Amino acid sequence: RVKQMEVDSGKDKNGKLPSDLEHKRTRVKVGILAPSDAATYESYGMFNSMGYDNSINLQSFKDGFQVINVKDDKENNELSFDMVGIDAPLANAFRRIMISEVPTMAIEKVYIVNNTGVIQDEVLAHRLGLVPVIANPSDFEFPGTEDSATNSICFTIDIKCTKNPKASNDAPAKLKYINGEVMSDHLIFKPAGEEQEELASRSPIRVQPGILLAKLRHNQEIKLEARCVKGLGKDHAKFSPVATATYRLLPEITISEKQPILGAEAADLVKLCPMKVFDIEDIGKGKQKAVVANPRECSMCRECIRDPRFADRVTLARVKNHFIFSVESTGAVAPKDIVLQAIQVLKDKCLVIDEELARKVV
Amino acid sequence: EEAWMNAPDRFELFTLGDNEKKVVFTKDTKVRDAASFIIAKEDHTLGNILRMQLLRDKEVLFAGYKVPHPLETHFVVKIQTTPTSTPMVAIQNSISELISEASLIEERFKAELQRKRGPEQMYM
Repeated sequence: RVKQMEVDSGKDKNGKLPSDLEHKRTRVKVGILAPSDAATYESYGMFNSMGYDNSINLQSFKDGFQVINVKDDKENNELSFDMVGIDAPLANAFRRIMISEVPTMAIEKVYIVNNTGVIQDEVLAHRLGLVPVIANPSDFEFPGTEDSATNSICFTIDIKCTKNPKASNDAPAKLKYINGEVMSDHLIFKPAGEEQEELASRSPIRVQPGILLAKLRHNQEIKLEARCVKGLGKDHAKFSPVATATYRLLPEITISEKQPILGAEAADLVKLCPMKVFDIEDIGKGKQKAVVANPRECSMCRECIRDPRFADRVTLARVKNHFIFSVESTGAVAPKDIVLQAIQVLKDKCLVIDEELARKVV
Repeated sequence: EEAWMNAPDRFELFTLGDNEKKVVFTKDTKVRDAASFIIAKEDHTLGNILRMQLLRDKEVLFAGYKVPHPLETHFVVKIQTTPTSTPMVAIQNSISELISEASLIEERFKAELQRKRGPEQMYM
């Protein structure tokens, strides 16, 4: 007979941990030399003997999770937002997926008809590959055995450099030569059929303008056709939709209540911080106290604790489950769509495993 | 398979080979209610969150993952449960919980975006 093993569920969450242990559990301590207490205490039963329930189920996750501080900078293609209540593995998974597993379109094959410029064919082709292609990847399929209108986009360059008859021989190259610089603006979309024309009329299919591809001189020309396919950052970095996607933990700075920083020292502390984290507060009777005004901006330079006057009174820490994400897109896909697609990619990965497991059990 | 200059094709990082299975289940011979799962063409992205979710399960006594070699794209999860459950049940529950968590994150993110920009049409 199977002996019933009782798993101690611990008391329910009314039991709390002593404050120093709670600080260890939820905060990364940032000391003058190095951070400490960075581990996540994940095991559900580890604090059972102290009467604290460390378990997380879907309901408690729902209650604890929030997305806040969304800032969408459309001009710079940058999105920042906070996720509170998740753990490092999940945040890291999103970061990794945003960088390498959200698909984009990028130039893969370059058919060079004529290149009399100084830039070698392969170097030019490499540069073309890295140019961001602004097209919605969900309108296309991954490449198969043949290129078709559903899985590839075509761009052409047809450019010849000539001397400017009006410029003198001493003029700078920009004036002296017409079409002396081959820019990414010179990549012209060539629709392959009606469907692509229709797609392009809704949202123009183009490449990021303003990127210098090659320089030409008198009588040199470039004539080529570049084909884009859909790919993942894992395959080649040119397919990565983000310039970068990063996260950091929310900084938490505390000034000791028992030994407040007053008067002239407070003014010094405010001046010390390069990120303007501290501020002065009037506490009456002409006295002034230093307070933490803007902990979010802290870059953990540790200047405040380097000074011996403040080393014991200012504590730097990071909140372990509060992630400040920053997603900067190359322009191909909007950053909010990159995040949403990343979540979908994560779900798809899990669904594939789910299916396989279901097959094994059956 | 021929690989010129020893470099494998990049698509092998995420495409299953001809005779490869996505999940391989191996029962542990020495310990009861323990098993290893070899998940092919996946890396730390999935491995770490799967391990994190398994540790939240009250029936799981041991859960760990490793990527045996960085040049081979697969990871191994080792799970040991109490006799009242099995590793297969534990991993299935963890995967479904991960899917629910991801759906919840998506919902909250969309809601927060919507709140910020007003009733604008979202094309995703």
